Amino acid sequence: MTWLPRRWVLLVTAGAIAGVFGLQAAAFQRFPGGYGGFGRFGRVPQPTAADAKHEFAWSRLQYTPVSRGYGGYGYRYRGGFGGSWSRDYPKADITFLAALRRLTRIDARSYQQVVTLDNDDIFNYPFVYAVQVQTWTFTPAQATRLREYLLKGGFLMVDDFHGTADWESFLNGMRMVLPADEYPITDLADNDEIFHVLYDIGKRFKVPGEQYVLTGRTYEKDGYVPKWRAIRDHKGRVIVAICHNMHLGDAWEWADSPDYPENFASMAFRVGIDYVMYSMTH
Amino acid sequence: MFQLLFKYPEAAFARGHVILVGARPTWALGLAIVGVAAGLGLLMRWRMRHAAPSVRPWRAAVLWLLQASLAAVLLLLLWQPALAVSELKPQQNIVAVLVDDSQSMARNDDGQPRLTEAVNALQQGVLSALQQKFQVRLYRVDGGLSRVTQLGDLHPTAPATHLGDTLDQFAQDTADLPIGAVVLVSDGADNAGGLDASTVAALRARHLPVHTIGVGQVAVPNDLEIDDVQMPPRAMADSRLEATVRFHQQGYAGRTAVLTVRDGSRVLASRSITFGSDGAPEVATVLVPAGTAGSHVLDFSLPAQPNEQDTINNSVTRLVNVASDRRNILYVEGEPRWEYKFIRRAEDEDPMVRLASMLRTTQNKIYRQGVTGPAELADGFPTKPEDLFAYQGLIIGSVDSTYFTAAQLDLIRQFVDRRGGGLLLLGGRAALSDGGWGTSSLADLLPVTLPASRTTFHFDPATSELTPAGADSPITRLTDDSAANTQLWKKLPYLMDYQDAGTPKPGATVLADLLAGGRRLPLLITEQYGHGRTAVLATGGTWRWQMSLPVGDPTHDRFWQQLTRWLVTDTPGQVTVSVPQQVMLDEGHTAITADVRDKEFRPAADARVEAHLLGPGGLATRIDLAPVPDSPGTFRADWTATRPGSYLAEVVASRNGQELGRDVLTFQRMDGVAEQFHTGQNRELLTRLAEETGGRYWQTSDLSRLPSEIAYSDAGVSTQAVMDLWDMPAIFLILLLLKGAEWLLRRHWGVV
Repeated sequence: MTWLPRRWVLLVTAGAIAGVFGLQAAAFQRFPGGYGGFGRFGRVPQPTAADAKHEFAWSRLQYTPVSRGYGGYGYRYRGGFGGSWSRDYPKADITFLAALRRLTRIDARSYQQVVTLDNDDIFNYPFVYAVQVQTWTFTPAQATRLREYLLKGGFLMVDDFHGTADWESFLNGMRMVLPADEYPITDLADNDEIFHVLYDIGKRFKVPGEQYVLTGRTYEKDGYVPKWRAIRDHKGRVIVAICHNMHLGDAWEWADSPDYPENFASMAFRVGIDYVMYSMTH
Repeated sequence: MFQLLFKYPEAAFARGHVILVGARPTWALGLAIVGVAAGLGLLMRWRMRHAAPSVRPWRAAVLWLLQASLAAVLLLLLWQPALAVSELKPQQNIVAVLVDDSQSMARNDDGQPRLTEAVNALQQGVLSALQQKFQVRLYRVDGGLSRVTQLGDLHPTAPATHLGDTLDQFAQDTADLPIGAVVLVSDGADNAGGLDASTVAALRARHLPVHTIGVGQVAVPNDLEIDDVQMPPRAMADSRLEATVRFHQQGYAGRTAVLTVRDGSRVLASRSITFGSDGAPEVATVLVPAGTAGSHVLDFSLPAQPNEQDTINNSVTRLVNVASDRRNILYVEGEPRWEYKFIRRAEDEDPMVRLASMLRTTQNKIYRQGVTGPAELADGFPTKPEDLFAYQGLIIGSVDSTYFTAAQLDLIRQFVDRRGGGLLLLGGRAALSDGGWGTSSLADLLPVTLPASRTTFHFDPATSELTPAGADSPITRLTDDSAANTQLWKKLPYLMDYQDAGTPKPGATVLADLLAGGRRLPLLITEQYGHGRTAVLATGGTWRWQMSLPVGDPTHDRFWQQLTRWLVTDTPGQVTVSVPQQVMLDEGHTAITADVRDKEFRPAADARVEAHLLGPGGLATRIDLAPVPDSPGTFRADWTATRPGSYLAEVVASRNGQELGRDVLTFQRMDGVAEQFHTGQNRELLTRLAEETGGRYWQTSDLSRLPSEIAYSDAGVSTQAVMDLWDMPAIFLILLLLKGAEWLLRRHWGVV
C-alpha cells in the first residue's frame, strides 16, 4: 500500500472540512424572508433583493414544536430551523408561489416569508401557512398574538397532519388560541364560497403526500378520510382553514416529480390558490 | 362747516357735477392759464438779472408757482364755474317715510323703546320740514308694507321684518307715483337674510335714493346670540353631521360655556367653548350623530349667561332628514390585494352602504362580491348610463386606465358631472400615474395634477398627518376634538405603501399628507366636480392600521365608512326637493322646488310633478309644481304654511304614467322667535343700502340737514338746477392764502 504524501493528506482533509462548512453555510444562509434549503431534486431558486417588495408574501409559521418521548410525554423542542414547522420547506412554498404568480393577478413575492408569534411582524402578513400542527405549542403570549391576528383579519391555513392523535394534538394548541365554545370547528361544504373564489372545486378528493409514490397508500396513520374544515369568525368568514388527513404541501413540493400524480398536484394548487384568494377577499 | 365753505351741502356735490357756464370755450381756459403762467415765467426770468442776490432760482420758482396759481383761479372764475344738480320740485314729489314697527323696535335701549326714539327723531322738526317741501307718506314696515296716516298708528308688534321684500314691494306699488326719495327708519334687524342684489337694482333703476335712519344700539350689552347654524339638510342613518355654529356675544369675553345639541330631550353632542372678544363673530364646529331614519328636529343651544336679558336667541333649531335607503357603491379593483379585503370588511359593518365590487383575479376572470343577484356586473364594468348611475359612488383601485374603453371613461365622467356621483381613486401599482390616469381623458376630473412619471408607487412605509382642513373634516374625524384628532393621526401605524399623487389643483382640499423618505406628499385630496365630487387616496396600505392596532380598534373601519359615506351622501336621486329655508321664523311663505331627472339623469322637462303636503291640524293637501322657464327639469310651486308646526312634503315625479322618482322633505314654521335674533342695530346693512342707492345713513341725533339734502335727487319730478360757485367762500379763501403766502415769503426773503 502506497501512502500518500503528508501534504496531500492535509490538503484533502482541509478541503473536505471547508466543503462541509461551505455547504452548511449555503444551506442555512439567512436571506430576507427565511432560509435557503434543499429539495430532493436539488437546490431551489434563490431570492433577489429586487424581488423583495410585493403585495403578497407567502408566510410560513415557525412555531415551537413538541417532540414526544416514550410513554406519550412530550417536551418542548427549542424552535429553529429543522423543526416540524419547516416540513417541505422551502420548495413547497416556492413552487406554490410560482403557480400563484403564473395563474392569478396577485402580485406575489417569489419566495416565502417565515413568521413567528414572538413579535408583531406577523401582523404585516395577513396570510400564514402552518404544517405538522399536531406538534405546535404556544405560550399564552403566543396564543394571544395568534388570536388577535385572526380576529383582526388574518388567515391561517393548516396542513399535513393525519389521524385521530394528530387531530387531538392540533386541538390542544388551537383551543389556546380560539376557544371551542365561541369558535367551533365545522366541515366546509362543497358550495362554501372558499371553494369557488377562483376555481370551482366543489368536488374534491384526497391529496396524499409523497409517500404515495413509494407505498401506494393515500393515507397516513389512521387518517383515511380527508377533512376539509374551518373555524369562522362572528361574521361567518373563514379565518382558519384546516386541511386534515391530507398533505397539500407535499403535492406542491413534488409537483415537478415525474412519479407524483398530476391530478393530486393540480388539486393541491387549486385548493391553495382558492384559499389565498379567499383570504384576500373576505 | 362744509356748507359754510362751499355754499351748498355735501349732498349737492355728491349728486351733482361741476360745469362752466361762461360763453368762452373750455379749451380757451386751459390755453389762457398756460399763457399767463408762461408770461409770468418769462417776465420773472427777465427780471432776475436785476434782482437782488437773495432771489435764488428755486425761490423765484416758488413765487412763480404762487402767482400762476392765483392767475389760474381768477381765470377759472371768469369762465363762471357752477354746480349742476337734480333737485326735486317742491310740492310735486312724494317722500316716503318707512318706519320699522316690528317687535325688535319695542326693545328698550337707553331707557326708551326704539320706536319711541324713531318717532321722537322724526317729530323734532324733520317730518314737518319734509312736509313743507314735499308730500310725505308714512308706511309701516314689518313682514310687509302698509300705509299709515300718522306716527301714532305704529305699534311694534309685528313678528318679523323683511326689509328686502318690503322695498321690493314698495318699488312695485309706487311705480306710478312721483317718489322723490325714501326715508327708512329701522334698526336693520332683518329676518329674511338681508338685501339681495335684485332689490338694490330695482331701486337704482328708478334712481330712488334711500336715506336710512338707524335706531337702537349697535352692540346690545350682555347678550349671547347664535347667529346661524349651517348643516346639511339630509344625512344617512347612523352617520355624523358636521354643524357649523356661528355666534357672537357682548360682555362675556373669556367666559366658557357648553354648546349642546339636542334631539328632543336627548343630548346628541356637546362641546366646550371659550368666548373671544366682545362683539367678534365666532365659529364652532360640532359633529352631530344623525341617528335613525326619519326627520329630526335638532336644537343647538348655549346656556344663558349672567344678567342676560334675551335668552331666546341662545338657541337655534335645524331640521335634518335622515334617509333610510341604502347607498350603493361600485368598487373596481384590478388585482387581489389586502386593501380590497379590508375595505370590504369595513363596509360590511356599515348597514347603510352596499359595496358591490368586481375584482380581477386573473387576466380573464372577475370575482364579484356584494352584488344583489347573478346579473349585476355579470358583463364587467357597466357600459350603459342607467347601469352605472344606479350607484351613488365609484371606487377605482389598482386598475390601469386602459382597462376601460373610451366610452366607459366618458361614462365615468358623466357619472360625476351629470349624475352627481362620488369618485374615489386609490393608490396602487396600476393606479393614478402608474395606471396612466394622468394622460387619460379623465385627468381633469381628478383633484390633483398627476406626475408625468409612471414609477410613483412605492412598497415603502409612510406615515400620515392631517392638514388643518383635515382636522375638522367629517371624513378624517376619528375623535370629536380637533386637536386630539390631529394627534391621533400622527400616532397611527405607518401605511404599508404610498404613491406620489402630484400637485393638488386649485379648488381641491388636501385633508391629509403622507411623509415618506423625507418628503411630504398629499395623501387624501378631495374636490367638487360638476354635480359630484372626486377624491384621491394615494395609498393602498391603510389595511395595516387594522392589523397593527389593537383588536376592536375602530380607526380603520371608521375612516373608511366616513370616506365612503362622504362619497355618496350628497349624490342626488332622480327627484330632489328643496325649500329656501327649512325653518321659517314667523312667516309661512315658501317655494317648493324639485329637480327632476330621468334614468340617465338628464333633465326631465316633460315630467308631471306633484307634492303631497302634510301639516299641523290634520293638513293634507296636494299641489302641482310648474316647470320653471329656462331651467329644464326644475319645477316649482309657491305655498304658504299658515300655522306654526312641522310640515312634510313628498314630491312625486312621473312621465307617461311611469314614476320617475320621489323625494321627501320636512320643514317647520316657528312663530314668535324671529325678532329675538339680530337685536342690535344692523348699521352695516343700513349703510350699505344707503350707499348703494345714492342715499345716506343718518343717526337720530343728527337729522337737521336731512330735509335739505333729501331734495337733491333725480327721482320723481325734478329739475336741473345750476348753482353758481364763483362766490363760494372757499374760493376767496384760496385767493387770500395764495397772495398772503407770496407776501410772507417775499418779506422773509427780503424780496420786495
